[in-house]
Amino acid sequence: MVGVGTSRQRRPFPLGRRGRTILAIVAAGLVAWFALGLSPAQLVPTGGAGIARDFFAAAWRPALDYEGAGVPDGARPFLLKVLDATVRTIVFATAAMSLALPIGLVLGFLASSVGWSGDPATRASRLSRTLARSVQGATRTLIIGMRSVHELLWAVLFLVAFGLNTASAVLAIAIPYTGTLAKVFSEMLDEAPRDSAAGLRATGAAPVQVFLHGILPRALPDMTAYAFYRYECAIRSSAILGFFGYPTLGYYLRASFENLHYREVWTYLYALLILALVLESWSTRLRQRFVA
Amino acid sequence: MAFVGPSGAGKTTLLRLLNGTVTASSGTVLVNGQDLGALPVRALRRVRSHVGFVHQDHSLVPNLRVSQNVVAGKLGERGLFAAARSMLFPKRADIDRVYALLERVGIPDKLFERTDTLSGGEQQRVALARALFQDPSALLADEPFASVDRARALDLVELITGVAAERGLTLVVSLHDLDLARMFPRIVGLRAGRTVFDAPSDNVAETELTALFRLADELESELSSADDSARS
Repeated sequence: MVGVGTSRQRRPFPLGRRGRTILAIVAAGLVAWFALGLSPAQLVPTGGAGIARDFFAAAWRPALDYEGAGVPDGARPFLLKVLDATVRTIVFATAAMSLALPIGLVLGFLASSVGWSGDPATRASRLSRTLARSVQGATRTLIIGMRSVHELLWAVLFLVAFGLNTASAVLAIAIPYTGTLAKVFSEMLDEAPRDSAAGLRATGAAPVQVFLHGILPRALPDMTAYAFYRYECAIRSSAILGFFGYPTLGYYLRASFENLHYREVWTYLYALLILALVLESWSTRLRQRFVA
Repeated sequence: MAFVGPSGAGKTTLLRLLNGTVTASSGTVLVNGQDLGALPVRALRRVRSHVGFVHQDHSLVPNLRVSQNVVAGKLGERGLFAAARSMLFPKRADIDRVYALLERVGIPDKLFERTDTLSGGEQQRVALARALFQDPSALLADEPFASVDRARALDLVELITGVAAERGLTLVVSLHDLDLARMFPRIVGLRAGRTVFDAPSDNVAETELTALFRLADELESELSSADDSARS
């Protein structure tokens, strides 16, 4: 028995802290697999092998025109319909991001620690420190609330509450995206290098100016890249909202899928892929302007 | 004047005390008769805006243009929106002044370059231009020659002392290079947070300077052997 006041000798765990962390992650994954009874055999088609084969075979021959018969006279050409759905998908995502980005930026600033750090040489009053902590805490709680509900759930809620209208769709995307952007922005701001801020503080700049011109520019490249990534996610979400009846890619994708028009389905999927590629290339070029 | 001393002697802390970015735990720091420790925040910022500070690590914003970094020197004197406008859309007069300052520090062609594309020595010159853009009454420089080679360090010493003389600025520089310290008229030797000597450069003996940089145990053994020999 070890007496009080004596140093207790612990036998070191052979893996060390890092090893234990990795082991815990692997163990958590294995537990989840066993809990769900996952097996690769589940991916072997049972009875519907022909459907799976047809679906993937169609990937090589995406539709350039309507697949099925019975297309009414005067109907828009198929590719024009795809283009229209793609543009609508972008418009919904853009409208949602136009709300999520500025609000996320403001909430990210309010939730960050650096936004409230003030001047290290002067001690803030107890009242202003309490106020700062309260605003920061309230903002963080709001952010958690916004992002804890998935956009599809928001869409269902708004659909029930306000019916099928564009504002509901835009808000359904904007709310959780604002929360996610705010959380990640606040972390990026807190992790931005502080040496530039010290330089500006020495010139007599106020804390807000130090933040705007010393901290924000350092975090901006990462924040821009992340905003683009979220825009890409918003486009996907916007497409998926089509499944609820909004006229985005998902609406037509669902219809084609239900009619077993797999080649049309692939055309819509490729439209999404092209959108993602264009955004990626745009984001990379913009980031290079900031970083290179 | 030059503060000299080994790492950890307190040179940087002393410089920061002088522009009020660090507050004294005891004693008072007077700038133009004002006790920095007793000043309200706004007044403290006003003092800082009149004291140029060149940092050892430059403390520039690397992904902004040189012109923007220099204009940032006036943030302390401008309101929130005026400052933002001057950073994003600087007036012609500001740009002309920045160009003149960059010309004075020898890099006028870098006006619209991204700051992180410049060499260490060039960035140090940008930091100096930013400090001068403040129209300071004093210039503090923390190890400004640490990141450049000897020839460029000599150039920078001449530049900083020359600019300070032209504008009649009080110049305080921290250094650990003894030869460079000799180029300043007054030297303050610091060690472990205390002033070891404060004298005109010509009156400081070589042994006093080199003793500053000896390791503490080396110095103690030397002192004890000197004591022993005195006793015997």
